[in-house]
Amino acid sequence: MMVENTKGTEDVLMEIRNVDKAFGGVKAVDNVSMDLRAGIITTLVGPNGAGKTTLFNLITGELSKDSGSIKWLGQPINRIKPFQAARAGILRTFQDLRLFSEMSVEENVLTSIEAGSLPLPQTGNQRAARQERVEYALSRTGLADKRKTRAKDLAYAERKFLSMARVMATEARLWLLDEPASGLDPHSYEKFLEILREEVKQGVTVCIIEHNLDIVIGISDRIAFLDRGRLLADDEPQTVLNDPALRAIYFGERA
Amino acid sequence: MEAYLLNLVILISIYSILASTLNFIMGYAGIYSLAHAVFFGVGAYAGTYAAMHVNASIFISLPVAMVAGAVLSLILALPALRVRGEYFVAASLGLQVLAVTIFSEWKSVTGGIGGLVGIPPVNVAGLDIFKPGQFVFLTLAALVIVLIIINRLVHSSFGRSLRAIRDSESAAAAFGKNVPLIKTISVVISAALAAVAGVMYASYLSFINVESFKLDTSVLIMAMVIIGGTGTQAGPIVGAALLLLLPSLISYLDFLPQTEIGAIQQIIYGLGMALLMIYRPGGIIGRKKHSSAGKE
Amino acid sequence: MLALQLTITGLQTGALYALTAVGFSLIFGSTRIFHFAHGATFIIAAYLFYFMDISGYGLFLGIVAATAGAIAFGLLLNRFVYVPIQRDEGSFFTVFVASFGIGIVVENVVGMIFGRGFVTIQTPLSFSTEVMDGLFIAPLSWISILCAAAFFGILWCFLKFSHMGMSLRALADNPELVRVFGLNPRFISACAFTIGSILVVPAAIISGATSGLNPAMGHHVMLISLAATIVGGIGSVTGTLLAGLVLGLAESLALLYVDSQWTEAVTFAILFLFIMLRPSGLLGRSAAH
Repeated sequence: MMVENTKGTEDVLMEIRNVDKAFGGVKAVDNVSMDLRAGIITTLVGPNGAGKTTLFNLITGELSKDSGSIKWLGQPINRIKPFQAARAGILRTFQDLRLFSEMSVEENVLTSIEAGSLPLPQTGNQRAARQERVEYALSRTGLADKRKTRAKDLAYAERKFLSMARVMATEARLWLLDEPASGLDPHSYEKFLEILREEVKQGVTVCIIEHNLDIVIGISDRIAFLDRGRLLADDEPQTVLNDPALRAIYFGERA
Repeated sequence: MEAYLLNLVILISIYSILASTLNFIMGYAGIYSLAHAVFFGVGAYAGTYAAMHVNASIFISLPVAMVAGAVLSLILALPALRVRGEYFVAASLGLQVLAVTIFSEWKSVTGGIGGLVGIPPVNVAGLDIFKPGQFVFLTLAALVIVLIIINRLVHSSFGRSLRAIRDSESAAAAFGKNVPLIKTISVVISAALAAVAGVMYASYLSFINVESFKLDTSVLIMAMVIIGGTGTQAGPIVGAALLLLLPSLISYLDFLPQTEIGAIQQIIYGLGMALLMIYRPGGIIGRKKHSSAGKE
Repeated sequence: MLALQLTITGLQTGALYALTAVGFSLIFGSTRIFHFAHGATFIIAAYLFYFMDISGYGLFLGIVAATAGAIAFGLLLNRFVYVPIQRDEGSFFTVFVASFGIGIVVENVVGMIFGRGFVTIQTPLSFSTEVMDGLFIAPLSWISILCAAAFFGILWCFLKFSHMGMSLRALADNPELVRVFGLNPRFISACAFTIGSILVVPAAIISGATSGLNPAMGHHVMLISLAATIVGGIGSVTGTLLAGLVLGLAESLALLYVDSQWTEAVTFAILFLFIMLRPSGLLGRSAAH
């Protein structure tokens, strides 16, 4: 339980060292080293194409690194596959959500916490325990009434919350969230922030990609700034946000 | 007339097994195979081999056929499912083409182009079943059992994993699904159950040759699934019934050239597949295209 | 001498395979449309030429008709089948099924018009002459190889130097780019279909004169195109070209060891070996998702 944040001194959950990834000569991630510390929210910011999502893909093994290393809980996970990352407690959401669109809301969450790799029957206990976690995630995200609705029939904000609910139902220690709040109306993103803070209080560690500065300021315990694949800063929110050079890059691309 | 109807019901049952087992991988796991007729054929040849050389009991021929289908599917699935979905389409098309050559050339087992004649009737607990009036119950029973197995699988956690993979493979993996393993298991199950249809088919006709197991058959089975409705349990059966009734329906239409019934049938279902994909991808049974559907 | 003979035949076959396969690969690489009806394009081009030929319109008009037919088929299919599907579903398999269905229709319509048996385009160019002791070569062999070389030369210049060509290459490398560059995807895919369909035409016509045509050969064409695309590496035009040549050569040289009915098995074996050992293909990038 992290109640008081002593920023900068938390346990390091993930160590990223000198990670490189190029696509056809363009360096998408360029010698990035950073730590993800336990129990806090680290926000990845930077212009489009800065390599933020690519970094997520490298962590979970969706893409393979050109070089560099990543350690999770002290163990190297350099050749990990996405499903192994998930089983090790690293979960991610996708910018384009990738819901199981033909399945119901409830099934979306349920399948996210089932092993389901072998056609074996499950025990009543397992089923009850899973159902409890599904209920938790659905009620927290306000989707309980929509449990039978197909994911593709949900409204936009609901789809975003379903994407969160899938992660919330699991017991993962690290959440990698790819623009989970983009496009949300003010009411929804307040709700989103509240959920996120609550979960972090309960011990989850979050790394989040976010563009909206209000949200960035509202939730970040630490900010990492990426631009053209390079990590330009990884520090306390104030330090990063007040750096004139970084502000120029950030706002320059928006103008 | 009665004989005609019985024959139709038996054939519809057999093709419903094929369509339902293909639907299991296509509709629920999103694996598109052009080799389903191969497993149909392997089931028919292996079951016949067991019946002619070992024992005609269904408790011998059926397991032999299922194991043969399963093993062959493993050879296809193990390499081809590790990589992208397109590869499986290519590999299965390749397997289908290769299998036709093997079915025609491996004369000691398949009888070559001429095929195998005088296949003994299937024997269930000491009873030879060959009259259509009896055989129809056997195939219906086989269909029901296959449907129950598929139904149970689809509604288990394994089935949810399959559908999750179909809807978004990367998200399924991101939530801990061992995608290649799950896909491989589903292909093996599908092939083993398709082999059941092969055993039924061979002992019903008491004659088989390579003509029944060519690419055209794979395409026909795929069309049944797609036209009936992928990812639904009734769809493949509706599709099988519809496409098997189609030739008789065409023959009632006098203005069509009767010599071209086969071609007309294929044109109709080819066109049907394309039009359904544009206007109603879920097939006849499936849901209508949803207007609010977003891009996943 | 047999080996040399088979090598030359193999090169000829391979050149034609490469043309067809590169057409498919280019379309698939830059638009992600699994254009299974590419085999149907081949059939349409081949039979249009055959029709013009037996009707006595001559070589030039035959080529024009075949080319126009192929392009029209590709563009119409894109406009009226793929675009509507992609507008709201866009799933790879939905497109595949529709494309596959159209392929079946074309095969059977052509079969009803021209018959299901083999037909051959008659030309004196397919008569072999003994160029060396025991080595028989028909002028069509040289024409195939030169024709493929010429087409690839033009294609290479186009991809290398024109703006559209560079866009197509960039897309094949990374389909996400279309958004970044603000390219018009409609125009690009129309372009890809035009070029992809044109590349089929010489292969279709020459095959019609050498090995003959039948309406069901679209599936064979597709198997080769798919195999070459995968063996070459998805997204790599050069890889597909090489793979097409390799497949043609392998098929031909295999005759030294096996009977002709096993040639497709050779294609399949190569495809399988690549999927197992090198799924990214000869020149492709990682085949991971």
